[in-house]
Amino acid sequence: MEMLEIRNMHKSFGPTIALNDVSFSAQSGEVLGLIGENGSGKSTATSIYAGMQTCSSGEMFFKGEPWHPVSMNDALKRGVGMIVQENGTVPGISAAENIFLGETQEYVSGLFVNRKKMNRDAQAALDAIGAGHIRAEMMTGMLDFQDRKLLEIARVMAKDPEVLVVDETTTALSQKGRDIIYGIMNTMRKEGKTVIFISHDLDEIMEKCDRLTVLRDGKIIRTFEHEEFEEGAIKAAMIGRELQGSYYRDDYDGEVSSEVVLAAEHLNHTDQLSDFSFELHAGEILGIGGLSHCGMHTLGKVLFGNEKAESGSFTVHGRQIRNEAEAMKEGIGYVAKDRDTESLCLEASIKDNIAIAGLDKIAVHNAFILPSRENSYVDAQIKNLRIKCNDRNQYVSTLSGGNKQKAAFGKWTGRDSSILILDCPTRGVDIGVKQAMYQLMYRMKQEGKSIILISEEMTELIGMSDRLLVMKDGKLQKELFRSRQLSEADVIEYMI
Amino acid sequence: MKKELREKLLSAAPLAGMILLGILFLVFALIKDINIPYSMKNILNQSIITMVVATGAVYIYTLGAFDISLGASMCVSALVGAMAYNRTGSVAVMLGVCVGCAVLISLTSSLLASVFNLPVFVTTIAMLSLLNALVLVLIKANGTGDVIQIPAEAVSKLNTVGFKLLVFLLFFGLCVLTFNFMKLGRQEKFVGGNPLCAQLSGLNAKKLSVIGFVMAGLGVGLGAFLTITYAPTLSRNTAGSIGMDVIISIVFGGMPVSGGARSRIYSAAIGALSMTLLSQIMLMLNLNSGIGQMVKAAIFILVVFVSMLNNRKTILPR
Repeated sequence: MEMLEIRNMHKSFGPTIALNDVSFSAQSGEVLGLIGENGSGKSTATSIYAGMQTCSSGEMFFKGEPWHPVSMNDALKRGVGMIVQENGTVPGISAAENIFLGETQEYVSGLFVNRKKMNRDAQAALDAIGAGHIRAEMMTGMLDFQDRKLLEIARVMAKDPEVLVVDETTTALSQKGRDIIYGIMNTMRKEGKTVIFISHDLDEIMEKCDRLTVLRDGKIIRTFEHEEFEEGAIKAAMIGRELQGSYYRDDYDGEVSSEVVLAAEHLNHTDQLSDFSFELHAGEILGIGGLSHCGMHTLGKVLFGNEKAESGSFTVHGRQIRNEAEAMKEGIGYVAKDRDTESLCLEASIKDNIAIAGLDKIAVHNAFILPSRENSYVDAQIKNLRIKCNDRNQYVSTLSGGNKQKAAFGKWTGRDSSILILDCPTRGVDIGVKQAMYQLMYRMKQEGKSIILISEEMTELIGMSDRLLVMKDGKLQKELFRSRQLSEADVIEYMI
Repeated sequence: MKKELREKLLSAAPLAGMILLGILFLVFALIKDINIPYSMKNILNQSIITMVVATGAVYIYTLGAFDISLGASMCVSALVGAMAYNRTGSVAVMLGVCVGCAVLISLTSSLLASVFNLPVFVTTIAMLSLLNALVLVLIKANGTGDVIQIPAEAVSKLNTVGFKLLVFLLFFGLCVLTFNFMKLGRQEKFVGGNPLCAQLSGLNAKKLSVIGFVMAGLGVGLGAFLTITYAPTLSRNTAGSIGMDVIISIVFGGMPVSGGARSRIYSAAIGALSMTLLSQIMLMLNLNSGIGQMVKAAIFILVVFVSMLNNRKTILPR
C-alpha cells in the first residue's frame, strides 16, 4: 500500500528555489532513504510533509487521502512524526514536559497538572525506545546533545506514528543512540509502517534503506532500487559529477613535526576528564574518538579555555590558556559540535558571523572597522569555502546545514588559526562538502597547522588522523598511529 | 525577492513612519494655522533629552539587557550636578559631575551584575530603590523645601535648541562611530544575539556589558545636564518618565525588543522624534492625554508585533 505521496511540490524562500517539481512516494513496510547535498531539498520536502511549513504548490497524500497538516503536532497526532536535525527540545522544562509538549491539558485534573502521571508516562516512553537512563523529571537543559535527541525520539514514538521522518539525526548520536534509531526503523518496517531516512552517511543509508531517492538543487534526480545501490553511482547522482581525488587523505606515513604546539598534563574535570595528558605537534591531525559520553567533547571546550580543568594544566606554545580570548591569541580556533547554539548566531548575517572572530585582524588600530576591509575578509572565506549564498548579508538561519557549517569554519580559517579544535565538524554535512573539508584540513596540515579532530565517526578519524587517541570514561584508553591496517574494529575494541 | 523586499520595507518602516508623522504634523499645523517654526522648536525641545538618553540606552538593549533605573539615575545625576554648581558656580563642573555621576551609577549596576553573576536588570532594580532613596536624602540635605535649584540665568544661555542639538549630534556621532564602525558595536550585537556563541568566539560578555552601561551612563549624564538647562529647579519628579519614554522610543524606532544583530543605533532618535510628533498631532486634534496614552499604547503593541513578525523566520530547514 502506498503510505505517503508527494506530487509536483514547489517551495521557494525568497529568491531561493528549494523544491522544484518534486514527486516521490513511499510504501508501507518500507524504509525510503533521501540523500543529496546540503540544500538539495530533502529536509524541506519532508518538513512540509510533517507539518513544519507549507509548500508553494503541489499535492500531498497520506494513505491515499489528501494530506494538509496544519502543524507538526497536528501531523504527529494524525500519524506522521519527524525527528529534526537540530535541537528540537525546550531546555527550561522537564524531559516529561518536552515529551508531552502541547498536551499538558491531558494531564490536568481539576486545577492542577498531574505531574506524577505525566512523569510516569514519559518514563514509559523513554524506556520503550531504550533511553531509560534519562529520567523523565530531569530538566532538559541538563541533558547533553545526544540525550536531548533521544528525548525527541521518545516524544515522536510515544504517538506511535505510521510515518516517521528521521532527518540527519544519527550523526549527532553515538553508536548506542544510532542502534536505538535503527531498532525503531526495523520495528516500523516489520509492522508495515514507513520510515523516511535522511542521512549523509552513504554506508549507513545503503545498509538501512530499501530504496533511495536522490535530490539535487531541489529536484529529484533518481530513485535507486536496493539492488541498484552502488556507491559511485549514488555519489555521482548526488553531486552531478564524479568526485575528483581521494575522499580522505591517501598518505599513510603520519609524518608530523617534532615541535610540540600544545601540551596537556594530567587534566581532570568532573567525570569527563581523568588524568588526561597528551601532546599536539605542528602539522599534526590528532583524532580524538570514543563513545559520546567519554569526555572528548569536554576536552575540546577545556582546550579552548571555555571550561576550566579542576586540576592539571595545558600550555600552547609554552603559554597557559585561561579563557577563550587567550586561546584565540595563541592561534586556537574552535568549531563546536552544537552548531546552531554554539558556533553561530543564527539571526546575524554570514558577514557578522565570519567577521566576529576576526575583528582583531580586520580592525584598523584594533578598533575601527573599514567596511571594504571587512567585506573582502568575509568574501575571501565565502569564496574559499564555497559557501552557497545570495550574498554576505544573507542571514545564517536561511543557509542549509552544510553551508552553516562552512560559515562556522570560516570564522577560524579567516583568522588563519594555527590550531583548530573541530568537534564533529562534518556532522550533517554532505559528501561534497565533507570532501572539501577534509581537503582543507589536509591542506592546513601541510601548511604546518595542527588540528584536533574530535569525532564520533570512526571512518573519519581513521581516514584523517596522524594519530588517534581513544577515550573512555574521561581517560586515555589507547594511542593508535596512522596505518593502512588500522580498522574500525581496532578502535572499537578500546572504546567500549 | 518578495521576502527581501518585505524585509527592506519593514526595516525602513520606522523612518517612513517618522516622515509620515512629520507630514501629518505639517498638514494639521497648516489647517489649524499654528506657528510651525515655534512648534518645531517645541518638538525638538521635548524630544532631544529622550533622544540623547535613548541613544545611549541602545547599548544596553542591544545586549538583550534592560535598565529600569535610568530615570532615577538621571534625577540623581542632575541633583548632584546642581549641587556642584551651587558649590563652584561653574557650568563646566556641573556638566562633568552630571556625566561622572551617571557613569558611576551605570558602572556600579553593571559591575555588581558582573561580580555576583546576576542578570543586569536585577541589579538595576536594586539601584532603582537605592537611587530613589538617594534623591530624597539629597533634596532633604541640600534643597530648599522639596527642590534643589540653581539660578536660571546661569544656564539660560544654554537653554537653546541649537545648543541641545549640538550636544545631541556630538553624542550621536560618537555612538554611530562606536556602534557601526568600531569593534564595540559588532561585539555588542553579537553578544545580544547569542551570548554562548559570542563567548566561544572570544568575546567577553561581562566586559562588553560594562562598556555598554558606561555608554548609556554617558547619555544619562548628558540628559541630566540638558534637563538642568531646561528646568533649573529640580525635584524628586525630575526625569520621572524618562525610563518609559526611552523604552517606547527605542521600540518605536524599530529596534528589536530582544536586542541582538538587528539592533540599530538610529532607532532611538527616530523613535523619540516620532513619539513627540505623535503627541503634538494628538494635541492639535484636541485629544485629551488619556486618549493620547491609549493611542501610544496601541501603536507600541503594533510596532512590537510587526517587528516580531519580521523576525519570525521562514527558514530553509537545513
